[in-house]
Amino acid sequence: MSETSAIRVRGLHKHFGANHVLRGIDLTIERGEVLVIIGPSGSGKSTLLRCLNFLEEYDQGEVWFGEHLVGYRRARDGGLVRDRERNVARVRAQMGMVFQGFNLFPYKTVLENVIEGPVIVQRQAPESAREDGLALLRKVGIADKADAYPSRISGGQQQRAAIARALAMRPQAMLFDEPTSSLDPELVGEVLDVMRGLAAEGMTMVVVTHEMGFARDVADRVVMMDEGVLVEEGAPSEIFRAPRQPRTAEFLRRVIH
Amino acid sequence: MGYVWHFEVIWEYQAVFYRAAVVTVEVTIGSLAIGLALGLAFGMMRLSQRAALRWPAAFYIESFRSTPVLVQLVWIYYALPVLSGVQMGNVTSLLVGLGLHSGAYFAEIFRAGILSVERGQMDAAKAIGMRHFQAMRRIILPPAIRRMIPPFINEFATLMKLTTLGTVLAVGELLHESENLINNTYRPLEVYTVLAVAFGVIIFPIILLSQQLERALKVRS
Repeated sequence: MSETSAIRVRGLHKHFGANHVLRGIDLTIERGEVLVIIGPSGSGKSTLLRCLNFLEEYDQGEVWFGEHLVGYRRARDGGLVRDRERNVARVRAQMGMVFQGFNLFPYKTVLENVIEGPVIVQRQAPESAREDGLALLRKVGIADKADAYPSRISGGQQQRAAIARALAMRPQAMLFDEPTSSLDPELVGEVLDVMRGLAAEGMTMVVVTHEMGFARDVADRVVMMDEGVLVEEGAPSEIFRAPRQPRTAEFLRRVIH
Repeated sequence: MGYVWHFEVIWEYQAVFYRAAVVTVEVTIGSLAIGLALGLAFGMMRLSQRAALRWPAAFYIESFRSTPVLVQLVWIYYALPVLSGVQMGNVTSLLVGLGLHSGAYFAEIFRAGILSVERGQMDAAKAIGMRHFQAMRRIILPPAIRRMIPPFINEFATLMKLTTLGTVLAVGELLHESENLINNTYRPLEVYTVLAVAFGVIIFPIILLSQQLERALKVRS
């Protein structure tokens, strides 16, 4: 771990009511690293990811994004208090997020979705934002759908549009929350290809996924999560070939047939 | 049964209906404006994560929804001055009363509309760095408001008909003027019939218009 790590998580805890979802997570993601989080459903993977950009408020511990503490600031007495909304939003804008359900804005065209952040949040001139947006749509292979509404394009195209929307903010890291889980099988590949391209460009990525092939080929590191704790971590070659923990072995047996 | 209709008697008094219709429309628009502003504010407050905002909003909404409008109006006009020394004129009392009353209903319409927008939309808006207020204005409210149009028109039509309660405060709206006219002409059936038609003539085109608006908005997206 160093000061230049992209994201550092220390002693993270999160409750939903009586449900203790995250039970002390420590995790460091280096710049340019692709980290894949695997584990059974309900293990807290998505919650962990959502704590990284404070879409979910954590109860205890710290999340650092570069030199920014995410969501809280140090009070005069040394304790942590909720940070101003403006600061939270500013940190969030530097992390792109891609959701399982795409979450495109349905009343905006694909291109309008992509330029919403640059124009409204970053106050970029609409004309240049459109140019940049079209370039991003070309990059994810759906430039011809720029003026289509989300409901008129396939799930794979919607998810690629959502990736372009996140990239439009020029983020320093990208968070992927099961990006292919609601896609028809034949559409999964086109989304994973875009993600592979991003990884190859050196984008810092944290990916929650059940795509073990992607984890094996693209991840620099894989962490296995179960019941709110990190069970095991290592290079994909280690994790997939010779998992040390029985829980990891058991999970992999069930998902890889 | 040999009731003989005498609409020609009413015809001579048509100016009374025009004048009263203007008052009805003015009161409707005025209380609508108050109701919408209150409704938006209290609807948002009731959705807030802070109990200090949520509870007062809930108290306002439920107390106005669960008591008769007639009593609310009488109370504002007659009881409020006794208690607080604030005496408003009859038209102002009607505007305030109907504004407060419809505001409680509009608050629930706003709240339901906002809740009908998938949670992922707010997540996505925040993930691109929007603040809560920006996300509401740019992302959540546009689709929410489209979904609010039918209940909104409902409440609007209800509100316009509720203006007839202004008669208890002697506001010269359609019902009050009609009752005066009945006292002069002794033709209640004719007067009430014309009164109903007058409301229909005002409200029906607005319903038609809203249906077209709804259809037009559905075409996009």
